[in-house]
Formats: sequence, structure tokens, C-alpha cells
Amino acid sequence: MTVQNVATAPQAGVPKTSVWRRIWQQDGPGYLFLLPWFIGFFGLTLGPMISSLYLSFTHFDLLTAPRWAGVDNYVRMFTNDPKFAASMRVTMFFVIFSVPLKLAFALGVAMLLNRGMKGLPLYRALFYLPSLLGASVAIAILWRQIFAGDGLVNKFLSIFGIVGPSWISNPNYSLWTLIVLAIWQFGSPMIIFLAGLRQIPQDMYEAASLDGASKWRQFWKITLPLLTPVVFFNAIIQTIEAFKSFTPAFIISGGTGNPINSTLFYTLYLYQEAFGFFRMGYASALAWVLLALVAVFTAFSFLTSKYWVHYDD
Amino acid sequence: MTFSLSRRSFLASSTAALLAAGTLPSWAQQSQLRLIFWGGQARADRTYGVVDLFTKDHSDVSIEGEFLGWADYWPKVATQTAGGNQPDIIQMDYRYIGEYARRGSLAPLDEYVGAGLDTSSFDEDQLRNGTVDGKLIGISLGVAAGAAVYNTKVLADAGVEIDPMRWTYDDLLTQGPKVSESTGGAVAMAPDGSGIELLFENWLRQKGKALYADGQPAFAPEDVTEWFELWAELRAAKAIISPDEQAIDTGVLETAPLVRGKSAMNFTTSNQLVAYQTLIPDPLGIAIYPATSPDSTGGHYRNSSQYFALSSTSAAPEKAVEFINFFVNNPEAASLLGVERGVPASAAMRDAVAATLDERGQMVVQYIADLGEIAGDVPPTPPASAGEIEVALKTKSQEVSFGAQSPADAGPAFYNEVIQTLGRTN
Repeated sequence: MTVQNVATAPQAGVPKTSVWRRIWQQDGPGYLFLLPWFIGFFGLTLGPMISSLYLSFTHFDLLTAPRWAGVDNYVRMFTNDPKFAASMRVTMFFVIFSVPLKLAFALGVAMLLNRGMKGLPLYRALFYLPSLLGASVAIAILWRQIFAGDGLVNKFLSIFGIVGPSWISNPNYSLWTLIVLAIWQFGSPMIIFLAGLRQIPQDMYEAASLDGASKWRQFWKITLPLLTPVVFFNAIIQTIEAFKSFTPAFIISGGTGNPINSTLFYTLYLYQEAFGFFRMGYASALAWVLLALVAVFTAFSFLTSKYWVHYDD
Repeated sequence: MTFSLSRRSFLASSTAALLAAGTLPSWAQQSQLRLIFWGGQARADRTYGVVDLFTKDHSDVSIEGEFLGWADYWPKVATQTAGGNQPDIIQMDYRYIGEYARRGSLAPLDEYVGAGLDTSSFDEDQLRNGTVDGKLIGISLGVAAGAAVYNTKVLADAGVEIDPMRWTYDDLLTQGPKVSESTGGAVAMAPDGSGIELLFENWLRQKGKALYADGQPAFAPEDVTEWFELWAELRAAKAIISPDEQAIDTGVLETAPLVRGKSAMNFTTSNQLVAYQTLIPDPLGIAIYPATSPDSTGGHYRNSSQYFALSSTSAAPEKAVEFINFFVNNPEAASLLGVERGVPASAAMRDAVAATLDERGQMVVQYIADLGEIAGDVPPTPPASAGEIEVALKTKSQEVSFGAQSPADAGPAFYNEVIQTLGRTN
């Protein structure tokens, strides 16, 4: 006690600035280098997020000042908005089907490529290409052409005498064309799977085949369990991506989410409300519900992960 | 001490220098205007032609133009307006002009009339269309009316004949099937018009009703049901294209069934004849929206296809008005623009362009003139949510055409949706 008092007493006379100066001298340059990121984070991410949280409790039409609305927007969403429910259904359907299918496809291709074939870097690059192009406007337009009534798919089917519908504009199939588009962009999970497969020690397979385990059994008992951390990582990233998916639906449906709201992704509905119908307050509330939803999904994945993800250390 | 003083004085003097530079730029005499409009390349070429013409004579003004498709245009304008970054001159539509004007983001033009803005030879109804709550907000860029644009070759090959100013829904029902028969089902006579708001409005008006009156729907749920039943009958007879072909149409010219060769016709507005003709090799004709009976009147009206409006935050409103005035009153500009935005609203300009118009242009002018006896009054400025209801009709029409809802259920459902949307606060 007394020692502390003695120790602090003489320092009281030293001006405070010296502490700041010391911090500045030690860490200043570091913060200086971080400054661009700080500006971006506070100015372009945190600031807008806080203001959108505020706006979600208002009626705001962009042209006049926001008016406080309390929880009106949230109440409306869950009690009296069929389009909200429709867009939620579309997005959930998309997430539930596109993510597992995409991961399965990515893993399959990764395992094919992992067999030490010639020209692997070339194939890797080629398979990755759709991921780079995927979210672009050009691909969405191309997709329209492929799946339209007289598009490539139906030309192919007509060889077998099948008359296909206009897949992209038929409410029964339009969402599936978008799921196929998502699966086609399997590149980035594939690259990660490929890296994960490389890490699995070969001697495990050797031991297993000496014991007479079939390839199929080796996959289920060795490959998949050892790969679960990578599967987990990919699943989280792809789920978030799927929730955020916007561009293809926007381009293919001309921004309407039609036919019959069958491609009305949550993000597209949010965009419509905000920029089409000038309901910024409501759109902000929609955005926060989406954030909460993604957070819940991610938290759920983390909580269940201890039952199925095996880390070898 | 001396160091800090000199640094302070350095700061002070440099700040002063900066301020001076800010207030007295060397290009002080130059006004920079921004112009935004929706449309395709054909419209952009003509518009920029007029911009060049204007800036050649007005070296103190430079104009930066920007154009987008219809669907992308409104989000862009709304964001620019909210961000305090509104262009000086904004192309406006009758569905949106009231909304923007009443919120004070468009400047009234009354003070410029006769003082920089010459409206003396403008048609009375065109000035009235651009007036919101007693103030002149929009300057009409052209007279247009609902019209069916059709491929004359496809109809002739199928042996279909229509009387352009008197044809009816019955004609569509009886003659339409000939087109799909003669083309093996590849082409239908008309698109599925059940989701086209202008066409629905036209049909309501022929029945003596309207889309809106005093911010409320001026039709009954039964009218909507009857409308969807009419189209269900046409669909069953193969007079119109299939629902999935119709759903490809996102409102961009290139996706229209007429352009894609899926239908022999499109329900659009008269000024669009020019733009469609640039995309289709076969000669196009122009007709009215189908009548409910050959002598039916009052469905059509002389709309303003679009307006130019002045931003209330424009830094150089006089220059902007000068450009608008040039755009609608200069004969050279008028002949560059032709009738792509509709027939000029000024009688003097109509005479000026008449001589220079090509055949399609002449047809558009003739169509508007012929419409005289058929046309009714212009409806009042629609309520604020009109844009949203236009989308809702399209979605509802798809529910019916794809069989997800019966016309009997869709009528009340759509009516309720309209009531809800109109009653909703933003």
C-alpha cells in the first residue's frame, strides 16, 4: 500500500502528455500504417451500420428527413408482409440446396484432381475461373440465354425429342437455374478442399488398403473425418455467401424477383424496398434481420461443430 | 517559440490561399450541368447530339450526360437525390414526378416562363400534364399515347388483317390463332398483356372507370377478375404467347417478345415505334390498344412520354432552364430528336420536324393526330406508390397465367394489395 503511494507520488508531477508521447513513439507508426483501414472501417463499415440501425426504427423515404417509428418496421415484417415471407422462403431454399450441392461438387472435383494428374495447375485454374466470373452481370445474362425457351439447354434436349420449358422464366424451375449457377461456381471451396486433401497422410490409406478397406470405405473412414475442419470452414463461408447472393437474381429477373416472386431473394427484396419503393427505414430493418439470421446460422454451426468436426491436434 | 510562431503563420497563410483558390477558380465563368435520363442507345445518340449543338453556341456551359435503363434509373435518381448529388436536369416520368415535386426536390419553373423558357406554342394539355399542385414542374418532351406496335410481315403472312384504329379484343381472339397455326406455334399474335399496367388502365377507361381517382383505386375487384378472365381466354385460344415466354420480358426493349420474334406485336407507347424499328428488320405498323368494341372511345389519352425537370439544388438553374428551352424550342434540336421521345409538344416544333421525319416518324405523328376522336382526358397525377403497383400487377398476372391463382381469387387479392400499398407510410 505505502509502496504504491510512494511510487505514484513523484509521477504525479510529470505532465500527462509524456504518457501519450511514449505510446505514440512506441505504437504510433503502427497506427499510422493502419490508418487507411481505420478510416475504411469506421467511415465505410461501422458508421453506416450504426446509422442503418437507427434508420431501421424510422420511416425514411430518402427525400425527406427520417421519422421515428419505434418497432413498427419489425412488427410489420413478421405480422403483415407476405413478400417478406416469400423472400425468406426463396432464400432459405436457395441456401439449403445450393450450399451442400456446391460443397459436394467441389469435393468431388477436388478428389479427382488430387490423383496427381498431369497439368494440374492448369485444371485448377480452369475450374476456378467460374468463381471469378460468377457474380458478374455478363454471366447472369449468359445464364438467361442458356436456360431460355430457345436456349442451349433446350436445343440439347430437343436432340432427344424433349421439348423443355423456358427454365429461367418458369416459376417451377427458375430458382433451380440459380442454384445450378451457384454450384457451377465451385472453384474457391474446391481449392480449399484440394489443400485439405494434400494434408492427409498417405500412410493412412496404405495401412487401410493393406487391411483390405475399399476405396469407398477409405473415403468415409479416413478422408471425410480428417477433412471435416475444411468442410466446416467451407460450409460457413458458403452459407454466408448464399445468404448474400444478389446479382444473378437481380439481372436474370430484371430486378423484380419474378416470375411470381420465385427468385425474390431476401437481398433483392431489401433492394426493392430501399431503392425501388423508397422505404429506407424498412429496408434497414430487413438488413438487420438478415444479419441476425446469418449470425444465428453461424453460431448454430459452431455449436454443433464439436460433434462432427475432428481436429487432429 | 519562433519556430511554432512561424509554423502557425505558415498554416494561416496557406489556409487563406486555399480558401481563395476555392472561391475564385480560374473557370469561374464556366457552368457545369449534369443531365440524367433513361432510355436506350438510340435515345442517347439523339440527346447527346442536342447537347453538342447547345454547347457549341454556349461555350460557357458544359453538360455531362448519363443514361440508364428504366429499372436502374429510379434507384439511381433516388440515391443521388438523397445524397445531395442530384443532377441539374432530370428526365421524369408521370408516375414519379408528383412524388419528387411534392417532396421539394424539383424546382417550379413558373418564374422562368417567358423569361428564358418559352411555352407559347406548347399544347395546353401538355403543360397541364407537367403541372403538380398548380406549379409547372415538368416540361413535356413529347406527346405519346398507348399503342400496339406490330410486325406487318408476320401478320400478312398469317393472313391476319386488322383495322389499326378500330381493332378489338374479339379480333385478337378470332384472328390471333391464325398466327400460331401458320408458324407452327413459334410465334403468337400478341404478348400476354395481362400484366401491363397501361393496357389495364386503357381497358378500364373504355369501361368508364380508371386506375386511380383521388389516390384510391377507381376500379372494383370484379374488374380485375374480368380482366384476368379475358386474358385467360386469349391464352387458351393461343392468341398470345405462353407465360414463360412472357416472363422473359424484363421491360428492356431487347427482351420484348416482339424483338425476340416470339410475338407479332407489343403493347407499348407510340414513341417506341422508332426504337423498335431499329431492332427489327421487318416493317412495323402502329395500332391502338385493342378496343372493347369497334366504336369504343376514351381509353387512350395524350400522355407526356417524359419530362425534363429542374433540380431544386441546381447551382446554375438559369443555364439549366436555357438548355431545357433549347431542347424543346430549337428547330435544329427538334429535327435531331425526331419523335423518338414522342411528338413534340410545341406546335412550332411539330412543323419543324414534319419535313425531316422518316416514314416511321410520320406514322407516329399521324397516329397521335388520328387518336383525336378516340382519346379521352388525361388522368390526374397518380399516387406516390404507382410505381410499386405497376410491379404488383405484373407479379399478379404471372400468378394467374402460370395457374397459381384463379382469376376469381386474383381480383380481390390484387385489389387488396393496391389498397394496402396506397395506405402504407414510407
